Amino acid sequence: MPPTTTKLCITVIAADSLYKRDMFRLPDPFAVITVDGEQTKTTTVIRKTLNPYWNENFIVDVKEDSIVAVQIFDHKKFKRKDQGFLGVINIRVGDLINLNLGGDEMITRDLRKSNDNFVVSGKLILNLSTSTENGGPSVNGAAATTAMTANPNQVNPPVANSTTTAETSSTGGQTNAPLAGTNTIPPTHSAATATASAHIDGAFEDQYGVLPEGWEVRTDTQGRTYYVDHNSRVTTWTRPSATNAAGGSSQHNTDLERQRHQSRTLPGDNSGTAVNSTGTNASAMGSGARAPPARNGSATSVSSPGAVGANLAVTPASGAGASPALNELPAGWEQRYTPEGRPYFVDHSTRTTTWVDPRRQQYIRMYAPNTSGVSVQQQPVSQLGPLPSGWEMRLTNTARVYFVDHNTKTTTWDDPRLPSSLDQNVPQYKRDFRRKLIYFRSQPALRILPGQCHVKVRRDKIFEDSYQEVMRQTPEDLKKRLMIKFDGEEGLDYGGVSREYFFLLSHEMFNPFYGLFEYSAHDNYTLQINPRSGINPEHLNYFKFIGRIVGLAVFHRRFLDAFFIGAFYKMMLNKRVFLDDMEGVDHDYHRNLNWMLDNDITDILELTFSVEEDQFGELVTLDLKPNGRNIDVTNENKQEYVELVTEWKISRRIKEQFEAFITGFHELIPADLVNVFDERELELLIGGLSEIDIQDWKKHTDYRGYSEKDQVIEWFWQCIESMDNEQKSRLLQFTTGTSRIPVNGFKDLQGSDGPRRFTIEKAGESTQLPKSHTCFNRVDLPKYEDYETLKTKLIMAVEETMGFGQE
Amino acid sequence: MALKRINKELAELERDPPSSCSAGPVGDDLFHWQATIMGPSDSPYSGGVFFLNIHFPTDYPFKPPKISFNTRIYHPNINSNGSICLDILKDNWSPALTISKVLLSICSLLTDPNPDDPLVSEIANLYKTDRAKYDATAREWTKKYAI
Repeated sequence: MPPTTTKLCITVIAADSLYKRDMFRLPDPFAVITVDGEQTKTTTVIRKTLNPYWNENFIVDVKEDSIVAVQIFDHKKFKRKDQGFLGVINIRVGDLINLNLGGDEMITRDLRKSNDNFVVSGKLILNLSTSTENGGPSVNGAAATTAMTANPNQVNPPVANSTTTAETSSTGGQTNAPLAGTNTIPPTHSAATATASAHIDGAFEDQYGVLPEGWEVRTDTQGRTYYVDHNSRVTTWTRPSATNAAGGSSQHNTDLERQRHQSRTLPGDNSGTAVNSTGTNASAMGSGARAPPARNGSATSVSSPGAVGANLAVTPASGAGASPALNELPAGWEQRYTPEGRPYFVDHSTRTTTWVDPRRQQYIRMYAPNTSGVSVQQQPVSQLGPLPSGWEMRLTNTARVYFVDHNTKTTTWDDPRLPSSLDQNVPQYKRDFRRKLIYFRSQPALRILPGQCHVKVRRDKIFEDSYQEVMRQTPEDLKKRLMIKFDGEEGLDYGGVSREYFFLLSHEMFNPFYGLFEYSAHDNYTLQINPRSGINPEHLNYFKFIGRIVGLAVFHRRFLDAFFIGAFYKMMLNKRVFLDDMEGVDHDYHRNLNWMLDNDITDILELTFSVEEDQFGELVTLDLKPNGRNIDVTNENKQEYVELVTEWKISRRIKEQFEAFITGFHELIPADLVNVFDERELELLIGGLSEIDIQDWKKHTDYRGYSEKDQVIEWFWQCIESMDNEQKSRLLQFTTGTSRIPVNGFKDLQGSDGPRRFTIEKAGESTQLPKSHTCFNRVDLPKYEDYETLKTKLIMAVEETMGFGQE
Repeated sequence: MALKRINKELAELERDPPSSCSAGPVGDDLFHWQATIMGPSDSPYSGGVFFLNIHFPTDYPFKPPKISFNTRIYHPNINSNGSICLDILKDNWSPALTISKVLLSICSLLTDPNPDDPLVSEIANLYKTDRAKYDATAREWTKKYAI
C-alpha cells in the first residue's frame, strides 16, 4: 500500500426525507460506500422509511485525493434495472479533512441524482474521522433524532441477498478486498457489496468512470465501443467528457430538437405553428388578440404571437384568447341534441344546422390553381362555413371521408363547400389525410369538455409528477381544457407551455433508462415496448399512463417527440402484423425468416414451434403453440411457424404491456375514431410533421449508379422541392421507415447496421415504380425518361405502398 | 429454437471434425463455446494455436453467432479486442451456415486477409504496401502470443 494512505472511519449516520418513488409504499433504504471505485461497504437495510438511521462505522483506506461516494438504494428494488436508486453524494476526502493533521468532521449533504436521472431528494448525514479507535463519533445531533424516532425497525438485518448477482461482479474485481478493522460489517453484507460493484460496471459507466447524465456505453457487433447520448439520441465513437456533454452539444441538440418539435404541424392545421419557439413563455404574449387565419400552408410562416390565442381551437370569434374552455356560442347559434344525444348546432341567422361546432377553429386547405400549377391556401372551416343544410360528413369502411346530401339522398367524395374541380389535381392520399383529420376532429368524442384540466409538474420531476397528476384524474377530466403549469414558473398555458410539456415528457417517459421502451434493432431511435419491462412491477400502470399521455396529446392536438416502429402503429390500429413488419423491428431476423421460406430447411434449421428467451440470465423455452417444443418445423408447416414467430416477436411477448397502453389511449381516443387513419398517418398524427431541410438532405445523400449531376437525380430533387411537408414526410417514411429526422440532420441517419446515409441507387425499369429499402435508407430509382413520369411514379410509390417494409 | 440446432452442430463436430479447428461448449452452457484454430501452414500464423470465444444468441440460427479471438493476432480484419470483420458474421449470415463452416472461413481469412474492408487500417496499409514487413510482424505476434 502506498505510504500516503490513511485509515479513515466513515460513519453513515442517517438520511433525511428521501424521495418517495412509489405511491403506496416506503423504500427499504441502505447505503453503499465506495472509495475510489475500489473499496465498497454496505450498511444494513432499514425497513420502510424515508428517514433511515444507520449510525454504522466503516474503516477505509484513503488518500487526500480519494473520492468517497455514498449511494442510497431501495433494497426491495435493488435487483431491478434502476436498483431503487435514491441518491448519491460524492466527497473528496482532502476537501474535508487534512489527513496529516487528522480530524473529525460531520457533514450534511443534499443527495444528488446519478447519471440515469432518477428523481432524488433529501439529505445524507455522514461523519468522517481519522480516529479509528472508538469507531467514530457518538451521534447526538438533532439531525439524527428525527430519524431515530421514525425508525423503530432500524436494527433489522437485511433480507438475504441474492448471491447469484454477486457472482457476476467477479469481473468487476477489486471491490471485495476485506480490510482489517472493519468488524462492524456483519457477514451478510458481502453479497450486497458485490452486487453493488456490479452496478458500478453497468452500461452507464465505463473504465474511465461515470458517463455524463443521459449517456450510455454500448458495444457494436464488431466489439467496438460506442456511446449513445439519450438526451439527443445520437451515437458517437468518442467518449463524452463531462464538460462537453453537460454543457455543449447535448444542450444544443435538445434545443434543436425542441425547436423542430415546436414547429410541427399537421395539414389543415395552423395551430402547430402558432407559437414562437420559446414555447414556455406563452404568458408573455398578448392575452386577447385572436389570430387571423394563416394565409398559406407553409408551416413556419405563422409566428405572430397573437396567434397563440387561436390555437386551441376553442376560441370563439368574439372571445378573448385568455378565456378558457368552451364558452358561449357565437351570436345567433344554438346547441341542440338529437334523440340519440348527439349534439348539433343551429345557426338561426342562416337557418341551417351542422354537426360542426362553430367554436372550433378548423383549418382546411384550399387548392387554388394559379399560373404555376396548384397553390395551397389554408382556411378555417368556419370560414368555409358549416356544411350546407342537410349535408353530413361520414366515413366509408375504408376510412375515406365522404359527404351525404340528405336532401337529395346522394353521396359524394367532394366537400360541398369546396369547388370540387379545384381539388382534382391533388394526390388522393393527401385529400384523404386532410379530410380524415377534419372528420376525426369534428367528432363529438373529441370535443373539449367544459372546465379545465390542471396539470402541475416540477420540470425536473416531470415523469413522476405527471404520472400522479394524470392518473388521479378521470378520462373525462382530461378532456377539459388542458392547463399545464411548471412549478415555480410563470406562464399560462395558451399552447406554448403544453407544447414544451409534451416535448419534455416524451423525452422522459420513452427514455430506455426506465426500461419501459427500448430502441429497435433497426436503428437507434425508433421505439418499441421493452419486452423485459416487467423488471418494474408497476410497469403496466406506467404503460396505461403512457397510453393516456399519447391520447391526451392527440386529443389536445399536441405532438410527442417520439417515433415508434411501424408495427406499433399497426397494433394501435388493431391490425395484424406480418413478416414485412419485422423489417422495422429486426432486419437480420426478417431476412433470415425470408430465407427460411425460400429455401429447403430440411436438416438445416432444426426448429420446433418454440422460442428460447433469456429472462434475466435464465433461459426459458416458450411454446409458440400448444406443445410447440415437441413439434418440428418442416417445409410443410414453416409458413405457420414464420407467422407465429413474427407475431410473438412483435406483439405476443409484449401483449400485456400493449394492452395496458392501448387501454389508456382509448380512454381519450375511441378506437373506432382513430381507426380512420392508417399506420403512417397515425405516426404523423402523434408526431406531427417536421420542417424538412432539403439542402441538408441533398448534401448527405449518396448515389449508386448515378451521380449528382444526372438528369434523373436533378428531377428527383426538383420533385421533392415541389412537395409540401406532408408529402416530404411521407417520402421519408417510404424510404427510411419513419418520418423522424435525426436531430443533427441527415448526416446522422441510421440504418439497421449503424449510420447509413440516404442513398439513391440506379435500379429497375423505367416502367416500374421506385422501390425502397428502409433498412438501408435506400431508394431504387429507375432512369425515367422525363420529369412528369418521375413525379407520377414517385408519388404513386409513396402513396400506394402500404406497410413499412418495401423490399 | 436454438438449442436443438446447437446440439446438432455439436454432434456433427464430434463425428466429423474439420481439419485444423475444433470447438465445443465451455462448461454446461451450450450457448457459450470455445474454439481453436491452428494457424494455416501457408500463412504467417503457421504454428500458432488461436483460441476463440463463441456466443450463440437465443435466436440462433436466425442471428449469427458472436465470435471473437481470445488470442491476440496481427491481422487487418481482426482488432485488438479480437473482433472479427467478416461478412458472414454480419449481413451475409445465413441460417444454412454452421460453426464449422464459419471456422473454416476464418481459417481462410487468415490465409487471405481482406485489406479492402479492414478493421485495422494500419495493418491493411502495411499488408498492401510492404507485405514482407506485414508477414514478419504477423509471425512475430504469432510466436509471442500463440505458441
